Amino acid sequence: MTPLLEVKNLTKVFGGLTAVGDLTFHVDRGEIVGLIGPNGAGKTTCFNLLAGAMTPTSGSVHFKGEDVTGRKSHQMCKLGLTRTFQVVQPFPDITALENVMIGAFVRHGSTGAAERKAREVLDVVGIAHKADTLGRDLTLMELKRLEIGKGLATEPDLLLLDEVAAGLTPVEIDDILTLVRRLNSEGMTFLVVEHVMKVIMNLSHRIVVLNFGSQIAEGTPAEISKNPAVLDAYLGEEEYVA
Amino acid sequence: MKQMKQYREFLVPLVVFALAAFLPLFLKTYYMHIAILILIWAYLATSWNILGGYAGQHSLGHGLYMGIGAYASTYLALEFGLTPWVGIFVGMAFAAIAGWFVGYAAFRYGLKGAYFALVTIALTEAAVYVVSNWKAMGGAAGLEVKYLGTDPFMMQFDSKLPYFYIILFMTLLAVLTAQWLNRRRFGYRLIAVRENEEAAEAMGVNTLGTKINANVLSAVMTAAGGTFFAQYFTYVGPRVVFGEVVSVQILLFAIIGGLGTVWGPLVGAVILVPVAEIARAELGTQFQGAHLLLYGGVLVFTMLFMPNGIVGLAKSIRARFGKTPDDTMSVSASEGGAS
Amino acid sequence: MTFSLPVILQAVASGLMIGGVFALISIGLTLIWGVMKIINFAHGEFLMIGLYLAYFLVTKFGIDPYLTILITTPVLFFVGIGIFQVSIKPILKHPPMNQIMLTLGISLILQNLALVLFKADVLSVRTRYTGINYHFGGVVVTLTELIAFFGSILATLALYYILKTTDIGRWIRAAAQNPTAATLQGVDVRFTYLLAFGIGSACLGVAASLLLPFYYVSPTVGLFLGLIAFVVVVLGGMGNFLGAFVGGLIIGLTESLGAAIMPGSLSRVLTFGIFILFLLFRPQGILSRRQA
Ligand SMILES: Nc1ncnc2c1ncn2[C@@H]1O[C@H](COP(=O)(O)OP(=O)(O)OP(=O)(O)O)[C@@H](O)[C@H]1O
Ligand SMILES: [Mg+2]
Repeated sequence: MTPLLEVKNLTKVFGGLTAVGDLTFHVDRGEIVGLIGPNGAGKTTCFNLLAGAMTPTSGSVHFKGEDVTGRKSHQMCKLGLTRTFQVVQPFPDITALENVMIGAFVRHGSTGAAERKAREVLDVVGIAHKADTLGRDLTLMELKRLEIGKGLATEPDLLLLDEVAAGLTPVEIDDILTLVRRLNSEGMTFLVVEHVMKVIMNLSHRIVVLNFGSQIAEGTPAEISKNPAVLDAYLGEEEYVA
Repeated sequence: MKQMKQYREFLVPLVVFALAAFLPLFLKTYYMHIAILILIWAYLATSWNILGGYAGQHSLGHGLYMGIGAYASTYLALEFGLTPWVGIFVGMAFAAIAGWFVGYAAFRYGLKGAYFALVTIALTEAAVYVVSNWKAMGGAAGLEVKYLGTDPFMMQFDSKLPYFYIILFMTLLAVLTAQWLNRRRFGYRLIAVRENEEAAEAMGVNTLGTKINANVLSAVMTAAGGTFFAQYFTYVGPRVVFGEVVSVQILLFAIIGGLGTVWGPLVGAVILVPVAEIARAELGTQFQGAHLLLYGGVLVFTMLFMPNGIVGLAKSIRARFGKTPDDTMSVSASEGGAS
Repeated sequence: MTFSLPVILQAVASGLMIGGVFALISIGLTLIWGVMKIINFAHGEFLMIGLYLAYFLVTKFGIDPYLTILITTPVLFFVGIGIFQVSIKPILKHPPMNQIMLTLGISLILQNLALVLFKADVLSVRTRYTGINYHFGGVVVTLTELIAFFGSILATLALYYILKTTDIGRWIRAAAQNPTAATLQGVDVRFTYLLAFGIGSACLGVAASLLLPFYYVSPTVGLFLGLIAFVVVVLGGMGNFLGAFVGGLIIGLTESLGAAIMPGSLSRVLTFGIFILFLLFRPQGILSRRQA
């Protein structure tokens, strides 16, 4: 069976800087794959390339067996690949419900259907009681949940999560872990970027490790935590390997 | 039940405009003129608002489309005797083409904010000079609509009454369009584009296409206003319908009334146009420009003290008193009733 | 509509002369734009104020037009500062479009205030400098244009010198590059903005006095000259001093060459056409390598 997402020799160069270099990996349907690496390793850039926010310098991306290299974000979203942003990106002047409805409109033409879907999603991410609050008035925790909700509302096959746990308390993090696991058990595939090692080790079936834009390791959480190259890359960043 | 709810939102505009239809019973000719002016500017501002308020792309060059509409119908009537009832659609078609090209060029190359404003000013100003040097279009002198007395077929009337009902109907359509956008996918997408393009794009919104469509819709509506303007004043000139000054006037009422709201442009025009017209009538001979002076003052005041406009202010006051922000219908109703 | 060499040469000469003044006008705008990222749509109207002021000083008080610089420059400086204090400063943190609308409002006020006060008449002055021409081969250059050209260059150099060598200049450059870092270095950013706005406006005082002897003044004079300043600033790259100067000369040449070879006012279409092409394809301007 072809993998859901197949990345081959993906490269992105900014001026002289290779943010992502010759990256090759895949994500199978039903998996949760972790993408980790020290600050500036190229994780967000990789997401931008996969989600169509940037065009790669070279290499290819296949999604559901189709070559999607160079597609725009909105096209990728319609195909079933959606991302969340590391820095939350709410629509500030509309309500949480409307925020999520924008995503729901991808699969639902009518306002009624989109609203129903959006309410369902708000419930799933646990901010149904904030449905009528403006985006600008939500707390960070609520915004993180909204960010996931906005992605979920587009009913993706593959959801890219960029550091959704950053800035949250352990209890809040556990909430989000539970949520992702549940969605995964219902069939959604995830590619997760996370600095909080506890999250990534607990959650991922498989982990891809980046450093300076290149892949330095790939394997199960157990393998990765013993890999000398990985430990080397994280040297001096112990706070993350907690 | 569901059907009912879907159409309930249109009830308020329909009732407000139905009531407004009785205004001529109470208004003297001069006040009819002011009512028509209010509706012209409300109509144009509502058209602009779809692009500027909903989609957040502040065109400072909508004179371009108003001019295209005004000149197209007037020229076709003069040269080929084509009725403006058809000319209006020809103008709208030309404006659609212009709007598409402008939108495509500007948005394809990522022009935003001030840069979009500048490019649209440049276009409408360039149009002034093109038309001023175009013999067939009357050059700098402009074109006069041939006087025919009352000739409904040529959209000409000696009485103000028919003009009033035409522009009332046009404004109703514009307000209904805005109301329709308020609760429809396309409208939500416009707002998503305004609020955060990157996020919108990631959530499946084709931002380029959405902005171009908004520009086209707004341009087409504006052009129809241009045709009416030409018929009502029986004259079009390069700086009368094209150019920066008229473009700024178009958006003024939307900004002062409330950007991105259904009723803002109408409210802005209802409040400002009469004052400005009285200023013009009382002081105009002695002090030309008095009404524009007033507009400038109100614009500065609005930006300093109530950047969300009158309707925006009303909404936030209501929100403070604990009403749900979603309850825009009744807010609109109270404002609409004031007209 | 003749394409003969003398006509072209004449157009080049006149274009360069007026281009120098365009440059000076635009440098004020690019300074404000570059420092506080505010596009002042009332820039042309500030110039109009300067022109009216110079006009009345010359006609009512018989002051030499070039001596009026000593009055127009400080007055425009304070006009700028006053307007900044009451209207720009409160909305420095507001969305850019609000700032644009605000300055548009100011331009409407000033333009129509002039219309109310001075009527729509187009005014110009005759001074003892009027009518003195120099012939270079077939090319005629008026003394007033020459003075305006060299005066503009001088004023530009003076401003450049101020920005490069004085403390004020250092603050302005620091605030333009990074307001936060500037604050940390002890620069009072608000005050620096105020100064920059004043200086940017003061440039218009100089430009007005230089322009008046061979130009005209009317309530709408700022409409066109303000737009020209935008064209020049975009051409030169927003906030780019040297770019504004080069841009001014280019637009001066475009205007006068266009007028020489195209009928009527069609040359304006050329000017705006260049503007549009730059906005679309090279918004960073002619001189900058990379997009900001
Ligand atoms: N648009 C851009 N232009 C130029 N350089 C960029 C751009 N985006 C990212 N970079 C650079 O590419 C490198 C990778 O950045 P990226 O944001 O992908 O890292 P990251 O792994 O997500 O880091 P973090 O853990 O801090 O989020 C960095 O050196 C960054 O400065
Ligand atoms: Mg990142």
